[in-house]
Amino acid sequence: MANFSIATVFIASISLLFALSNSFSLENPTDRRILVLVDDLALKSSHSIFFSSLQTRGFELDFKLSDDPKIALQRYGQYLYDGLILFSPTIERFGGSLDVAAILDFVDSGKDLIVAADASASDLIRNIAAECGVDFDEDSSAVVIDHGSYAVSGTEGDHTLIAADDFIQSDVLLGTTKIEAPVLFKGIGHSLNPANSLARNNARVLFSGSLDLFSNKYEIFCSSSNHQCKRQGAQIITCNRYAKSGNQQFVTELSKWVFHERGHLKAVNVRHHRVGETDEPAIYRINDDLEYLVEIYEWSGSSWEPYVANDVQIQFYMMSPYVLKTMSTDKKGLYRTSFKVPDVYGVFQFKVEYQRLGYTSLSLAKQIPVRPFRHNEYERFIPTAFPYYGASFSTMAAFFIFSFVYLYSK
Amino acid sequence: MARSLGFIIVLLAVTSICDAVAIFHPISESHRSAALELFSPAAGSFSGLEEAYEALRTFEVLGIEKPDTKDHTCNSVVDTLSSSSSNLKDLYHSLRVNGLLKCKTSKEALTGTVSRLKGGVKEATTLLDYYYSVGGLLLVKDQSSEVDVLLGNADGILRSIKALSQSDGRWRYSSNNPASSTYAAGVALETLSGVISLAASAIDENLIGTLKNDIVKLFDSIEKYDDGAYYFDDKVIDASGHQGPLSATSAVVRGLTTFASTSGTLNVLYTIPEEKILGLARFFLGVGVPGNSKDLVSVPLILSLPATVLSLTSNDKLKVRVNTVLGSIAPPLSVKLMQVFSSGSKDAPVLKEELKFDPKEAIHTMDALPEGVDIGEYVFAFEIVLSDPEDKRKYATGGRTKVPIHVTGVVGVDNAKLTLLEGDSVESEKKLNLPGKNDVALSANHLQKLHLSFLLTTPLGKPFKPHQALFKLRHETGVEHIFVVGNSGKQFKIALDFLGLVEKFFYLSGQYDIELIVGDAAMENSFLQPLGYVELDLPKVPEKATRPPSQAVDPYLRYGPKAEINHIFRVPEKRPPQEVSFAFLGLVFVPFLVFLIGLLRLGVNLKNFPTSTVPATFAILFHGGIAAVLLLYVFFWLKLDLFTTLKALGVIGIFLMFVGHSTLSHIASVSVKVKSA
Repeated sequence: MANFSIATVFIASISLLFALSNSFSLENPTDRRILVLVDDLALKSSHSIFFSSLQTRGFELDFKLSDDPKIALQRYGQYLYDGLILFSPTIERFGGSLDVAAILDFVDSGKDLIVAADASASDLIRNIAAECGVDFDEDSSAVVIDHGSYAVSGTEGDHTLIAADDFIQSDVLLGTTKIEAPVLFKGIGHSLNPANSLARNNARVLFSGSLDLFSNKYEIFCSSSNHQCKRQGAQIITCNRYAKSGNQQFVTELSKWVFHERGHLKAVNVRHHRVGETDEPAIYRINDDLEYLVEIYEWSGSSWEPYVANDVQIQFYMMSPYVLKTMSTDKKGLYRTSFKVPDVYGVFQFKVEYQRLGYTSLSLAKQIPVRPFRHNEYERFIPTAFPYYGASFSTMAAFFIFSFVYLYSK
Repeated sequence: MARSLGFIIVLLAVTSICDAVAIFHPISESHRSAALELFSPAAGSFSGLEEAYEALRTFEVLGIEKPDTKDHTCNSVVDTLSSSSSNLKDLYHSLRVNGLLKCKTSKEALTGTVSRLKGGVKEATTLLDYYYSVGGLLLVKDQSSEVDVLLGNADGILRSIKALSQSDGRWRYSSNNPASSTYAAGVALETLSGVISLAASAIDENLIGTLKNDIVKLFDSIEKYDDGAYYFDDKVIDASGHQGPLSATSAVVRGLTTFASTSGTLNVLYTIPEEKILGLARFFLGVGVPGNSKDLVSVPLILSLPATVLSLTSNDKLKVRVNTVLGSIAPPLSVKLMQVFSSGSKDAPVLKEELKFDPKEAIHTMDALPEGVDIGEYVFAFEIVLSDPEDKRKYATGGRTKVPIHVTGVVGVDNAKLTLLEGDSVESEKKLNLPGKNDVALSANHLQKLHLSFLLTTPLGKPFKPHQALFKLRHETGVEHIFVVGNSGKQFKIALDFLGLVEKFFYLSGQYDIELIVGDAAMENSFLQPLGYVELDLPKVPEKATRPPSQAVDPYLRYGPKAEINHIFRVPEKRPPQEVSFAFLGLVFVPFLVFLIGLLRLGVNLKNFPTSTVPATFAILFHGGIAAVLLLYVFFWLKLDLFTTLKALGVIGIFLMFVGHSTLSHIASVSVKVKSA
């Protein structure tokens, strides 16, 4: 019996190790294992295009009913998943050990989260959202209506299926391929706390007021957005017809971002030295010319590619930036710049605070002291002082001659 | 064999945009592309025979050219059938694929398969074992007439399957698993009907009678959606995975129909209430699954409207289509519009208006909407009346059908004007063209008032109250103020008295952009229109006034690069040009030259220099020492530091003191001698 249990533990630990080696790491930031919690397993088929796009990209999806008593995010202090998808808007209480605090801990540990709500969003889902700075509309009868830009349909006349085509201009969030067709949205509204822009630990969280946004529905439709409909006077003559809504592309691209297939940066090989030297000094003197280099790479989903941008900036910082300079890049990931150390001495920092929409924020800081000139490092032979030197030396010469004259002249 | 699970999954995956309860959509190109996307064979073959069957069956139903996988799939079918180690499930699936692909299978292989399947029936302990072996035998029966597939002990097999049934009409998967499932009930009924059709001898009628009771009980557990669709749900999750409502319902319907047709007990279906059958049909239509006419005995008629949003302005006609559940043409009938409820009201007069039937398009139309129907939301109640009373037994009409209808139209916007008032006298008045481009430029102070008014009329000339009538003022800094435009009848009016609004406006003077939003679901010309701007001159901010709320930072600006900072270095002190310094250097040497010339003029000499050797040596050393000190000073200036210099100076100084003393005392003694002499 004892032997048996030891063997079990051994096998369990091997499988755990295997699982760990396969998971989220610094070298391989894309998520691998994702827990999907749904209210109804039918969602698996009604949202199958979204899920299969995740699966074909290599994610292991673990579907569970949200009230499944066996749900656990972590075991033995290790997280079992790298990402969590909550497609269970109506759930009032998760099964197992999962609760709001557990989900927040999950996000705090740098894991990613997708939450989709709809008009039936429960208090639990609202609480999770509120903790992340997102407030869903609390009125249960509230809907998002846009009388100006909606999907024209022969069967739905209440304008709650909104055709949105004004997307955030960010390739890292939505991919480089333009989303041609409007994205259809039917759900509830939310507001985002303006002070809350991104998670400080680079965890990525996506909230949607529409669960249908991710679904396989929404194929052919006609949009009535103001600038897509030709109107004559007040009458709509033609409307743009789309064979397919932009939803599929939109959510696929967004999920690539959320699960760190894009926009994940790392900075390596941070170094600095005096111009013309290669070794990193322990201290700089004021007015030294120095060179600062850093390599930045972006995770492409499978490998680290050089990150090319023209807005990476370095600060030479003591209480406030003394120098702030944009670095030049060789397009192979290396960023460099050189500047003169300010003529103020003290303990400075090299700071790279790189925060761009959708990208991992980089925060590099390296402390370096700056000293003033030593006494013998000042300029020695100042031409302006030559008359004084001349006067001294002529006096000395005169003294020497005078000593002879005074002592030996008769 | 009836429809496959895979097919259902495909169709569920491609559910169309519409709320399809009321409207039937035939299979479209998008269904096909979605099917191809779902079933894309990897490297020319499917991952398993089960998937192969689902894919091939789906392609067949949707009429898709099969990707060329026949050779590979057939190979694995033949392998499975001729291998003695393949289990019942594999045999079943390979027979299913064989039924579609018509692979070349030898008679020996089939005979071997049959004997293994028959052995499987005998040894079966679980429901699925029965299902696979009986299903396999049925498939062999279809594919080859040369092999004997009949079962000898059909009654015994039926009893052992029946032993798995539960009192509530559900079934268990195996005798040692107490959990019962609806899906299993469907599977069991299908298996039972298979056994009946394979039976070599007649079946005990009593047994079939008890099964009928089970079916009736099973329908007690049917569940209902709000829209009248009925479905079976399966709560049990087991080894075979979770069966959603769709697969559970389809399993039950499939089992039921095959059972009813093979056991010759069609009348069992008449014991099921008509509304439940209709509801099941609704359920399948809701997910877009077209049926097969064998599925249901009393064929439900479905009343559907191609469009429920009708435009009054473009005189849309009310069109109603009546189909059977299966999408085929309904028998002769007429459709009557019974009542029109405007939104919210419970009662409405009975109209009984009959719709005109257009046999070419098989659509019932009403040329004009009933009188008094203006734009807005309504519920239309229709009734289907069958022309032939004989059809009443064959078709289920489902009573009165209520359909929500949206009637839209262009709302007239007239007399729109923006007025600036001081007291009661009109300062300026601007007519507005709504909806349209307007360019109002006003300037006002806090003692004035701004009035906006317009009229809204429906196409029938009645007053119209839109869902949204909002007036918006946006300050340059982004602070927004939204006012609801109130109405009295047709007249919409808002009066802004700036004196009372000063505090609300946070005393922010400057340009305010004006926007007007009028929108409603029934209004075809909903608009969001910028009207221009008003330049407000408000009093100065008192100290205790609330600050305007901070505006959200533009995300593009927030993350953009910052302005560069360059350190401003201390400017070095100003110095005279070098020429000046050198000129003064020259001047500094002038006194030295004068001193030298003066000495020469005075005729200095060195006659007192000691002549004897010892004093002369001391004198030379003394002066050499002075020269060394002076030279040391030069070196101090050039490169030496203070410490080296002081050390050297100390050494030279002691030496100098010694030689100086002897030299000076010698000179002194000589001069004393001269004086005394």
